[in-house]
Amino acid sequence: MKFQIEDVTVYFPYDHIYPEQHAYMVELKRALDAKGHCLLEMPTGTGKTIALLSLITSYALSKPSSLVKLLYCTRTVHEMEKTLAELKLLHRYQRLHLGDAARTLALGLSSRKNLCINPAVVSAENRDSVDAGCRKLTASWVRALAVENPNIPTCRFYEDYEKAASDAVLPPGVYTLQDLRAFGKEKEWCPYFLARHMVQFANVVVYSYQYLLDPKVAGIISKEMQRESVVVFDEAHNIDNVCIEALSVSVRRQTLEGATRNLNKMTQEIQRFKNTDAGRLRAEYNRLVDGLAQRGNLPIGDTWLSNPVLPDDILKQAVPGHIRKAESFVSLLRRLVQYLKGRLETENVEKEGPVAFVGSINAQVGIDQKTLRFCYDRLHSLMLTLEITDTDEFLHIQTICDFATLVGTYTRGFSIIIEPFDERMPHIPDPVLQLSCHDASLAIKPVFERFQSVVITSGTLSPIDLYPRLLNFNPVVSRSFTMSLTRDCICPMVLTRGSDQLPVSTKFDLRSDPGVERNYGRLLLEMVSVVPDGIVCFFVSYSYMDGIVNSWNETGILKEIMQHKLVFIETQDVVETTLALDNYRKACDCGRGAVFFSVARGKVAEGIDFDRHYGRLVIMFGVPFQYTLSRILLARLEYLLETFQIKEGDFLTFDALRQAAQCVGRVIRSKADYGMMIFADKRYSRHDKRSKLPGWILSHLRDAHLNLSTDMAVHIAREFLRKMAQPYDKTGGSGKKTLLSQEDLEKVGNGSLGEMLF
Amino acid sequence: MNHIEHNNGKGKRLNREDNEEDDDEEEDERDLEAWERAYADERSWESLQEDESGLLRPIDNKTLHHAQYRRRLRALFSTANAARIQKGLIRYLFLVIDLSRAAGEMDFRPSRMVVVAKQVEAFIREFFDQNPLSQIGLVTIKDGIAQCLTDLGGSPESHIKALLGKLDCSGDSSIQNALDLVHDYLNQIPSYGHREVLILCSALTTCDPGDIMETIQKCKKSKIRCSVIGLSAEVFICRHLCQETGGSYSVALDESHLKELVLEHAPPPPAIAEFAIANLIKMGFPQRAAEGVISICSCHKEAKFGGGYTCPRCKARICELPTECRICGLTLVSSPHLARSYHHLFPIAPFDDVPPSHMSGTHHRLPNNCFGCHQSLLNPGKYNVPEANRVGFGGAEEIGLKMVEEIIGLMERNGGGNMPGPCVACPNCKQRFCLDCDIYIHESLHNCPGCESFRQPKSVAAVQE
Repeated sequence: MKFQIEDVTVYFPYDHIYPEQHAYMVELKRALDAKGHCLLEMPTGTGKTIALLSLITSYALSKPSSLVKLLYCTRTVHEMEKTLAELKLLHRYQRLHLGDAARTLALGLSSRKNLCINPAVVSAENRDSVDAGCRKLTASWVRALAVENPNIPTCRFYEDYEKAASDAVLPPGVYTLQDLRAFGKEKEWCPYFLARHMVQFANVVVYSYQYLLDPKVAGIISKEMQRESVVVFDEAHNIDNVCIEALSVSVRRQTLEGATRNLNKMTQEIQRFKNTDAGRLRAEYNRLVDGLAQRGNLPIGDTWLSNPVLPDDILKQAVPGHIRKAESFVSLLRRLVQYLKGRLETENVEKEGPVAFVGSINAQVGIDQKTLRFCYDRLHSLMLTLEITDTDEFLHIQTICDFATLVGTYTRGFSIIIEPFDERMPHIPDPVLQLSCHDASLAIKPVFERFQSVVITSGTLSPIDLYPRLLNFNPVVSRSFTMSLTRDCICPMVLTRGSDQLPVSTKFDLRSDPGVERNYGRLLLEMVSVVPDGIVCFFVSYSYMDGIVNSWNETGILKEIMQHKLVFIETQDVVETTLALDNYRKACDCGRGAVFFSVARGKVAEGIDFDRHYGRLVIMFGVPFQYTLSRILLARLEYLLETFQIKEGDFLTFDALRQAAQCVGRVIRSKADYGMMIFADKRYSRHDKRSKLPGWILSHLRDAHLNLSTDMAVHIAREFLRKMAQPYDKTGGSGKKTLLSQEDLEKVGNGSLGEMLF
Repeated sequence: MNHIEHNNGKGKRLNREDNEEDDDEEEDERDLEAWERAYADERSWESLQEDESGLLRPIDNKTLHHAQYRRRLRALFSTANAARIQKGLIRYLFLVIDLSRAAGEMDFRPSRMVVVAKQVEAFIREFFDQNPLSQIGLVTIKDGIAQCLTDLGGSPESHIKALLGKLDCSGDSSIQNALDLVHDYLNQIPSYGHREVLILCSALTTCDPGDIMETIQKCKKSKIRCSVIGLSAEVFICRHLCQETGGSYSVALDESHLKELVLEHAPPPPAIAEFAIANLIKMGFPQRAAEGVISICSCHKEAKFGGGYTCPRCKARICELPTECRICGLTLVSSPHLARSYHHLFPIAPFDDVPPSHMSGTHHRLPNNCFGCHQSLLNPGKYNVPEANRVGFGGAEEIGLKMVEEIIGLMERNGGGNMPGPCVACPNCKQRFCLDCDIYIHESLHNCPGCESFRQPKSVAAVQE
């Protein structure tokens, strides 16, 4: 369908549109008009992605001069593919209406692991080794050698891509990662380098958060994007954590040992070069005198990492004299590693600010702040000079330099915490030195400054006023939309008491109470006998899950559960979890029924959907607070209070509730779907906790469902499931319109236009 | 609104995990209000009605139910009429009754399986009433094993007796086993017969020995139409099974809904396209044997005295019709059976609603009585207000004007007094009927009394001319 929003003609590939999608588009359009940032919350299953894509591309089509590019950031490769598939549909529709005027180039960009088509390289098990494998074949010096000696292997796809030179372009269209690989295979061009090249010319780029937020990657991939681009962060409820992780480094004993090995190897290499090719080192020295700005001159294949957010003037400064020489730089790094080793020996927990830390480095090993700042680039340059291709082995020393540069650059918003052992296992020494970033706004600041419109959207952004404070920006539009439903297809409940009427909670003092564990067990047992197909349970932590599953096993509850449904458990091992999920789905498909035990904040809670019969019920056992005694969290809370005046209680509750909302939100993925959510903890019945849940859950949380015991919950579940199994009218009948056709929209459009005029 | 203030106070307090407190007493208080509020929102007392003497009257849902019934009737009629759908009149139906552990649950009183047995009994009778040419077999699932309780047959009594004798539940349910068993039986049915399975499923899980998807495909290939009625919730595999094989899937809300759902399967379903080719079926119409003759019965294999029928081809004795001759395999029916099946193909059109305004005018030419039962349509029997009472209201000046208004309003709402009750009219003969007659005509009679009684003289007249 085709309709007007103010002065923009929107092309929407479906015949009907939900009212909230329309409202979403109107708000988004206003934000684009105002050239500002916006925050939009809309429940999952209402077609957020297609609304975003169709509005922004239509906007670009109707105002060709105003918008240059859409940068769409997703969290996972799977979401990336889904987005591109939607875009394909949209593009086909636009082509149908506009013909060649709608020609666009849209593509996904991912790591080599997902794009490489060289069978020898892509078979490596992890991302870093694929990257290293690629570099071994494509680095400029390797290729130079290969010209002389045909026995040295190169990648034929890359060679062909290089040969095609400026002819190597993608014709307009929408390319998923799969399409890119297919195209690459057909033309025998390397899809990874082709995609990276084409990103500059594309109208729509879909890639992961890291390409914009992680300063190391952002520098090379996203630096050429125009200011007029629109940046979209989808599923952005955890964006502050992504930002923080991008700037946090932790150093363990293994890291330091690895770094020492790396340094030894580098010394050997330097020695070898000195004997054979002293000119190279000399040339590097000269280059460094000119400053770091030379990086642009290096061929694209070799610039694999760039410096963290450095102020521009540093890039133009010359590298400090005493680290220009390779040997002196390596010996400086040795001193730094030695110093860190010494710090790790400590028996007590230590906490320091960056300034004090740099001061102590300067005093003890004589490295000043400015030198530290250059470590990352200097290392990078040295590795190029030494022609090191197996970068995956040199990760340790890279971590150290990353650390040094961050410490040297920032004086606020960070702290350095050294813990000699894990809080929870005090008898096992496991010293770790963490540089933790407290300020999410640091990493995202350049994005807000560089681009004129940044859209942050997710199904759960409640409370919506906290995000601007955390990320330190001013949105022109911030709104939360609710879902228009033809029937009450979600049924949230707060369970406060077990079957014996005693309160249940994962509160610290009640946590290990056998009564609470038994009550939780009884709840699940009752539920497996009334809920069909899949049930998902979320626990507050791995250790809590282990404990409670053990106790259920001992008391025989687990066995009784197994009579009704099979039980699958998420573990920290990704492969195991994937296998468990796979079998869980199979059990749901064939009617055997299954329960999946999972952990809030785990991989499953974040990225896996339990829609339709894969999740008819989700139980959140307890409130998923962060581990409140963690030093990093305490430091962050302190910082938040000082800098943004966010109270620690507020932040903890906000963080716990958004995790809980995220977990239970997994169960509803579309309007035709239905599901129940049980919040099994008495603390959820309190207003301050409950009110932080997203509006679309709250609006279905009836007063009578706020303080239930197990038997009442079972009764409600029975009724609900029976009601939901009845056939229903998808369009919502006569009374409540939940699907709008083109005519409806025109009517609405006239009405709203009239309203605005008055 | 005490509790709200209390909550706000709590919210302001620093709420770290460790220093939370709870006041159970106060929460209990709030709890009471919470459930009270749910009832308050529904305002159920407003639908209560009083009769003239101030006594509470049972809530009258009759009109509502009737409206639902008519909607369904109309939907059925429109689909049947739109394309003149061919219907499968000769049905071979297996009723699968789930007697696994879940059938013992008490959410239906006294237990699911008792309720199911009751409905199955009603269904079997209704089924043979509507489909005299068809046959039913019973299968139960218990302890993960499917068991054939009765073979395909046309005698309602023997099925009912077999089921009621076997009513206990245990173990898991296995839909795959049941389907496999039923498939083996139904695969031998000749191609003019319609193969159907109706599963009454209490359990929410099915523990299968193999891949149920394969079994479903097998049933699909053999053109077995599988329908499921669930007793507690929607199960994916059941929905999948029904979708694949063209059956219907429904879940019962309560006992009366369950009855409705089960009985929906009694009228013959539309024929499956590939079987819809017309072909001739050889049938025998046996004679009733003379009283007092002793002969060996072919169905029970014992000497029987009197009654029974004789197969016209092989002269064997059969106890009941319809059936298949055990000796020569001929389908044996009686002619009323065939005639009774006829109405499915040519149903009576649903009657139209008559708007109340048409009724009120007494000058209207049509009488204000139901054509079927001759009850007055103005004051349907039970709402008749005695004459004396009405006079009493008329002269009640001392009660006060307001009171009278109230009473009249109440009477109007009740459909009492001189207000017309709901009624319907046949689109062909324009005769009016009350709601009870409407249901009776469409469900049991299958003839419109108006049309029948007016056609007679006309056709006679035509002959005379």
